[in-house]
Amino acid sequence: MRILVIEDETDLLASLVKALREEGYAVDSASDGEEGLYKAQSWDYDALVLDVMLPRIDGWSVLERLRQTKKTPVLMLTARDAARDRVRGLDSGADDYMVKPFDLEELFARLRALIRRAAGQTNNQIEIGELVIDTAARRVTCAGHTIALTAREYVLVEFLALHRGTVVTRSTLYEHLFDEDDDTMSNLLDVHVSNLRKKLGAACITTHRGHGYCIL
Amino acid sequence: MKFFHSIRWRLQLWHGMLLVMVLSGFGFTAWRLQRSTQLQRVDQDLERRVAVVAGAMRGNPSAPPRPPQDRPEDPPQDRPQDRPRLRERERPQTPRPPPVTGTEMHLAAHDENLFEEAAGGGFYYAAWLPDGREISRSSTAPADVPYPPRGDDPSAARLRGNLREYVRFMATGECILVGRDIRDEVAASRRFAWILGAAGGAVLLLGLAGGAWVSSRALRPLANISSAAAKIAAGDLSQRIDTPDSRSELGTLAEVLNDTFTRLQASFVRQAQFTADASHELRTPLSVVLTQTQSALSRERPAAEYRDSLAACQRAAQRMRRLIESLLTLARFDSGEAAADHQPCELDQIARDAIELLRPLADQQQVHLDADLKATSCTGHPEQLGQVVTNLVSNAISHNRTGGSVRVTVAAAADAILLSVSDDGEGIAPQDIPHIFERFYRADQARSGSHGRSGLGLAITQAIISAHHGTIAVSSVPGSGSSFTVRLPLPPPPSEN
Repeated sequence: MRILVIEDETDLLASLVKALREEGYAVDSASDGEEGLYKAQSWDYDALVLDVMLPRIDGWSVLERLRQTKKTPVLMLTARDAARDRVRGLDSGADDYMVKPFDLEELFARLRALIRRAAGQTNNQIEIGELVIDTAARRVTCAGHTIALTAREYVLVEFLALHRGTVVTRSTLYEHLFDEDDDTMSNLLDVHVSNLRKKLGAACITTHRGHGYCIL
Repeated sequence: MKFFHSIRWRLQLWHGMLLVMVLSGFGFTAWRLQRSTQLQRVDQDLERRVAVVAGAMRGNPSAPPRPPQDRPEDPPQDRPQDRPRLRERERPQTPRPPPVTGTEMHLAAHDENLFEEAAGGGFYYAAWLPDGREISRSSTAPADVPYPPRGDDPSAARLRGNLREYVRFMATGECILVGRDIRDEVAASRRFAWILGAAGGAVLLLGLAGGAWVSSRALRPLANISSAAAKIAAGDLSQRIDTPDSRSELGTLAEVLNDTFTRLQASFVRQAQFTADASHELRTPLSVVLTQTQSALSRERPAAEYRDSLAACQRAAQRMRRLIESLLTLARFDSGEAAADHQPCELDQIARDAIELLRPLADQQQVHLDADLKATSCTGHPEQLGQVVTNLVSNAISHNRTGGSVRVTVAAAADAILLSVSDDGEGIAPQDIPHIFERFYRADQARSGSHGRSGLGLAITQAIISAHHGTIAVSSVPGSGSSFTVRLPLPPPPSEN
């Protein structure tokens, strides 16, 4: 899952990026509206965390211009909590709205819900045969036994499970699992996939040569 | 009790009392006038008859009968040319009455008619000798006509029950009394009094009704005012008094109140906006503290990460402290608390100190700081004036470009002390100029927390200058710089001694 955080308050941006990375997300950051809009338009993020008060282009305009091309789920962060501000935020295309100061746990939960809904899922638990992926606990169980996965392995399974039944290309996977700061080696994906097959069973991930991977 | 304290009812009461006084005064006067006219007429009739009886007493019959009401005021004596002719004509017909001989007196027949039951209209007479013995009395006279007491005036009228009597004492001592029953006149007078009373009552009712209408109409705006004021007191500040007529006194009052309400509402809105802005400004550093601590505490971390988190929390706390200090400063100016304690001070020295403190910032931003400070005395609060210079200069530095310059001048003009801070930086957009002194207004909508600015600097600057009875003006050309000019009043001239 790759998330873009647009926030001009340096300390807040840094702590958000760090906390989200620790949650297993690939996180990009932007500290003003212009940069944020450019990044949001250039990549398919799984979610956007957008502050309202931004230098150069404010959050409303970023949202408005982004909505012309992208359907990325957007969570607005704002210090204003008047009802009309919330209404304006939701009406101009935001998918969720949080008022500062906020709890990190709540922000994570809302982001999970946004990503899940965008993938057409309504439940935190994705069941594939005996395999159960709990996106809230970030845990995978097989026939009741918890399977120990690294953070990268988990997001890979989760991403494939959320797009179950469709072939996910390698470039899409790269785009969504690694952020701009990652120096990814091209064979890293193959390593993760082969590790997952060892842990979950060889049949769970099918390889479509030349296209990508798929969980059925 | 409320009844007696209501202006409307008090007005009504006064109005009613006045009406009653005027009406009863008029009515009573009219009644008295009518009654005295009536008595006068009766008295005139009586007097005439007294003259007839007196004539008979002296053995001098009166003129032939003429209806008393037809007789004009002029007595027959006034027409001497008539008298002989009339007398000659009457003498054979009318036997000459015998002269009064001690106890006897007779009236001529036609004079006797004057006192008859049918024709006489209720007149009667009685006559007495000087010693009180009765000489004669008419058949119509009531049985109990007493011998009248003699007053100072030889002839006088008196009222005895329903009887009006006219008494004359002759020069020779005999007494003549002519009277008449005036029951009809008394009844008429009473009727007149009733009519007057009824008419007065009707006028009073009409007047009261009219007064009530006028006063309720005149006081209706008061009801509007009080209902609007009550709604405002209940919290609906958008209420205004409906004033159809602004020329009346109450209309003027309503307009004044409406103005007051508008200003009140504006100040409430400003206050609410200020509170919202202040809490908004506090939210961002607070969310830094929250996210930093929650993230740091979520798992075990190396010491360096904790240090980073603590440093971020400290920066946020400092920012909140600065903001709260600014808010308190403004609150003190708003309450007028900070305006006190002005003393003579040297503005050039204050400016010099402030500039020296800002020189490191200017060097860091590579801005050239230039000062032209002429010795200038003023009256004020040195720390606050120093803050004015600091705010203006640090603004000019941080809104400048690299290699730009800031120029500070202090000088005394003929009518004011001038402090100006100009820069050749980015300037201020024309649409922002009217707002830059507003609290939390920022030309750039973003917070600029990294510069440590709260958005209150210029608002505080303006508050300080207002407290010093000065003004601040700004001129700016976008792209080529801005200039802030502060005008402070000249200090009072030193006293003679």
